[in-house]
Amino acid sequence: MAETFELADRYFERYQEIIPGYEKFLASLAEPLPLYFRLNTLKLKDPESVLRGLRRQGFEVEPVERVPWFFRVEPREASLGNTEEYYLGLIYPMTLSSSLPVYALEPKPGELILDLCAAPGSKTTQIAQVTEDRAVIVANDRRLDRITALVANLRRLGVACAVTTVYRGEQFPMEVSFDKVLVDAPCSGEGRYRKGYEGELLYQKEGRTNLSGIQKGLLVRAYDLLKPGGLLVYSTCTINPEENEAVVDYLLRKRQAELLSWEAPLPSHPGLTEWQGRPFHPDLKKAKRFYAHEIEAVGFFVAKLRRTV
Amino acid sequence: MSRKNRKKMDPRATWPQPVSLEERARILQFLEERFGFSPEIFEPYEFLATSKNYWLFVRTPYLGDLEKIKVQTAGLLFLRKVSGYLKPTTAALQRFGRYATKNLLELDRLTLDRLRLEKKIPIELEIEPGYVILKCEGQIWGCALYLPGKLISYLP
Repeated sequence: MAETFELADRYFERYQEIIPGYEKFLASLAEPLPLYFRLNTLKLKDPESVLRGLRRQGFEVEPVERVPWFFRVEPREASLGNTEEYYLGLIYPMTLSSSLPVYALEPKPGELILDLCAAPGSKTTQIAQVTEDRAVIVANDRRLDRITALVANLRRLGVACAVTTVYRGEQFPMEVSFDKVLVDAPCSGEGRYRKGYEGELLYQKEGRTNLSGIQKGLLVRAYDLLKPGGLLVYSTCTINPEENEAVVDYLLRKRQAELLSWEAPLPSHPGLTEWQGRPFHPDLKKAKRFYAHEIEAVGFFVAKLRRTV
Repeated sequence: MSRKNRKKMDPRATWPQPVSLEERARILQFLEERFGFSPEIFEPYEFLATSKNYWLFVRTPYLGDLEKIKVQTAGLLFLRKVSGYLKPTTAALQRFGRYATKNLLELDRLTLDRLRLEKKIPIELEIEPGYVILKCEGQIWGCALYLPGKLISYLP
């Protein structure tokens, strides 16, 4: 365990300059991740019966004031997947920050929305919830085994406004154009790392994948799938600028995309405009970085863009 | 999961087809007569049909465009065609069951647990035989079949 701690400290050292309150960040990695769920308002607007039920089973449940319909649960090591509330589709366990890309997307009823890397469906079901099941969501994932989990969650939550597809994201067919596209990209997941509890550090993996290459391919295809004026949200749960700002910067160089500001319900920091001596587009400060120790959830990066032509 | 063990896309995956106005009227009539669902509840939705199922999908002018892409599922699996009858799915009832006004069967916790465990329990009810919606402690659980003297669970 001591070795894990040292390795983690050494790993995150390269972010010392960009993570605010770095010592607090390191300290937070020794704690397991807080546990949250979203109330499924498609089925239930009043949380009381759910809260009563979970408390009867020994959970402590408190609403998250800044993010409507989210609740924090203790003990955080427990699983909500075996509860009756889960079985009945009244709750969706997900980390608090996973709601942020949907805040940036601002989905509206009637819009045609593509969730390009959708499984297991936290954001697809949140879009359905925000639009009262009235947006039209294409929920895609490249792997059929992950689609099975997505379909199960859509069914469990009672979502009727989504179709599921299995395409490689970077090859999603161009026959349909979308009002909005969400790319919650596969990433190294540094934002969810907790020493000895959760996640693994990229360098520990065998056969490192070229994640930023995959992310760039997904983002460019997502942009090309937009109608003119359409909105694109790119998110990851990693700190690594190579998977965040560098990917968005790549899109800005390849396409006529425009970065937009957006309102987030949790504290954030501007995106980086430079990393290891390499400058990024100055508008990248409009992207937002969310750090795990400040939001008490998985660290996230979210950028909102518009297709101009 | 290793690459070679990953599932392949079902080559039969095709779009379910929107039902005709007459078929929609028949579905809505069944839902109203059996469960007291007001047709207005389903006004924002289309019913799409496959050979054995009806799916509920949000009404949209984009339906024609979407048919250009190959889908795994479209909307919420809503009704199954079982031996000439229509059976609402658990997912459909857990979502819309709160709007039902007929054949809503309120069970106490003990009876519900017994039904889930034994799958079939003896019971005498003053209702017409057929599918019923199971409710317990304020929550909708799903579907069961009432036949004279017995209740058969369709809870997964």
